[in-house]
Amino acid sequence: MTPAEIVHVLVVWTPFLAGGFLWNILISLVAMAIGTVFGAVLARLRLSGRKSLARMGLAVTELTRNIPTFVFLFYLAFLIPVEFKVSDEIYSFPAWLKASLALSVAVVGFVSDNLLVAWQHWRNANHSAALLFVPSWTMYLVIIVMASSTASVIGVGEIVSRCNVVIAAVSGEEMMVWVYIYAIGYFFGLCFPLNWAMGRVKKRLLAHVGGTSAQKCGECER
Amino acid sequence: MVSHGMLRAACVLALIAILSSQEAFADRLDLIQMRGVLIVGVKSDYPPFGMLDANGRLIGFEPDLAAELARRLNVRLQLVAVSSTNRLQKLEEGAIDVVIATLGDTPQRRQIATLIEPNYYASGVAVVAPPNAHLSSWADLRGKKVCATQGAYFNRSMAQRFLLDLQVFNGTRDTKMALRDGRCVAWLYDDTGIVGLLNDPEWTSYETPLPSTMVSPWAMAIAASEHGSELERAISDAIADWHRSGWLIETEQRWGIKSSRFLADTHQLWTQTEPDGGPVCARLASGEWPSECRNKLLLTSTDVSGLQHIGLLIKERTGLNLTIFYDAYDRNLFLAGLWMTLQLMAGCIVGSLILGCLGALVAEGMPWLCGLVRLSAAIGRMTPPLLLIYLIFFGVGHIVVTRYGWTFDGSMIAVLCLSLYTGCAIVYTLLEACALLRNQEPGFALGWRGLPRALRLAYTPVIAALINVVKATGMASAIAVPELISASTAIVAEQGNAAVMMNVLMIAYFLLVMGVVRLFNCLERWMLQHDAR
Repeated sequence: MTPAEIVHVLVVWTPFLAGGFLWNILISLVAMAIGTVFGAVLARLRLSGRKSLARMGLAVTELTRNIPTFVFLFYLAFLIPVEFKVSDEIYSFPAWLKASLALSVAVVGFVSDNLLVAWQHWRNANHSAALLFVPSWTMYLVIIVMASSTASVIGVGEIVSRCNVVIAAVSGEEMMVWVYIYAIGYFFGLCFPLNWAMGRVKKRLLAHVGGTSAQKCGECER
Repeated sequence: MVSHGMLRAACVLALIAILSSQEAFADRLDLIQMRGVLIVGVKSDYPPFGMLDANGRLIGFEPDLAAELARRLNVRLQLVAVSSTNRLQKLEEGAIDVVIATLGDTPQRRQIATLIEPNYYASGVAVVAPPNAHLSSWADLRGKKVCATQGAYFNRSMAQRFLLDLQVFNGTRDTKMALRDGRCVAWLYDDTGIVGLLNDPEWTSYETPLPSTMVSPWAMAIAASEHGSELERAISDAIADWHRSGWLIETEQRWGIKSSRFLADTHQLWTQTEPDGGPVCARLASGEWPSECRNKLLLTSTDVSGLQHIGLLIKERTGLNLTIFYDAYDRNLFLAGLWMTLQLMAGCIVGSLILGCLGALVAEGMPWLCGLVRLSAAIGRMTPPLLLIYLIFFGVGHIVVTRYGWTFDGSMIAVLCLSLYTGCAIVYTLLEACALLRNQEPGFALGWRGLPRALRLAYTPVIAALINVVKATGMASAIAVPELISASTAIVAEQGNAAVMMNVLMIAYFLLVMGVVRLFNCLERWMLQHDAR
């Protein structure tokens, strides 16, 4: 296969693959939304004056930290029925939503921990430090976007499973490498600029705070 | 007058004789031998298992079995066509002696007829796919559109066990057209029915790429009242002999049926011998076959002892099918998966640390390489590990195999890719720690001696990254590494106990991750104590 042919195949399949990548973004955003809501509730519980509530919030947060999302993905895929009936109406439970739910578990733990710190800073009128939550959250979104590729193992039609469809369709064995590299390009193209920009924002905020950077970065890696 | 009276007496006598003879034939085998004919019900519409030839005679795989049975009993054979709906009814009426008509062995049927073990054949579920469908395992069909025909008993369980997106069509003709038009990637079908279908010239290019699953053994049946009779024993012995001699496999070949795993496995089981030379599958003192030679799916807790008895009792009482505890095969599969997962976890922790430290050392020690290392670390961090695993295992792996003939081990590739991803994150945190250390003491440079200090400073994020990679080891299942997830989904596929297995898998992984977290916490405490001293 000549380079021109390879490029041609990739161009032909671009709308299909790009559509798949939109699914990755959708899955990730829904996961972030679900995870942020529940994580915020947990952070709020941990900050509440009552000891029992605070302890419960911490216990649930620790539970979510130990749950491997990849295994949880299979768990939900097998145990949530594809369709269920509510008073004579049949509702289907799409696989992509199962993927979002599985990924959201990791987000819950992250938001619970980071929002707790941010909230404390905000209460102490340490607003710049509290705002660090925004770049951290966005950097976590990047991690979730990359993790959303695992949805392919339960058959969600996102970019990785579409890569496999393309490979089967063009049936050129050497095309395989190029299709995968092209898909990696999508992730890099979205995640690198986003991560870089958030890194800048973070540095700015940290300069405002003048605090130690090592501790903060410890949180963003989770 | 006299003759009239005698005739009447003769009639009464004859009636008594008939009635008493019914009594005398407590065993149907005596009746069969007396009448000199064995009457067997077979199918007429299920080629090549039971069908009509050009002369309207019943022929096929099952009629051959019936003929051999009659020969062994030294009687003539009479075949009767039966259907799925009337086969057991005719048996009960006494119109036929034996049913050999694609009858699946189920607990419900065992209530209304005597089903004879060992089973003589088995059907399973397979798929018909167009050529070049690129299907190598059932997991390849997860989430894919798969055509199925309305009413097939396996539709629901197959969708649940293999996460298929089933497109159910009304009849065989509609399903055929849907597959031809590409509305689904494959067609779910009974593997014994496929034989007839693929003979159609239009379908010869289609294939059955996957091994049959949800195997349902077939049994010969005699009337419920014949349980424990001589007839049952005679037929049972015949089938056992056929398994031992491989005659069933020959018969299968003679009819052009794709060789079934069931016959091969059963042949192997029935020819196995004990250390003392006797066959494993020999009748026990009770006259029963040993439990390992019987239909595993239909054993009840009363048939077995020990762990298996407890396991089956739990299943019967609660519905929880804990096969990984009582079934040796499933248990070994699961334990092997656990061992593989432990190895992957250890490999990923060590690999990530090595790659992370080496990357940081190179970046710090050789300033002219620093930019390159930083760039590769950025790319590594922004590449989804699963995609990297596919790229290396399938893409690069294929090129290497065709050029150099080397094959990669899946688990090694999974460890390498996951370590790369995590190692890149560790490089970043180490470099940041170095920058911080340089703030404290301007002359600091990362070398072999400075490494422990940098690692100590970056302890929390490094450990967080390592715990993440431990959680992600399941990704190896995507390239069929036999670890915990692969083992669990394989057991679900066989046993259909998704709820049990998924909970067991989740708890196992949860405990493993917790163990690793504990281990790192201990390490931290030990280091703190060490520092204090």
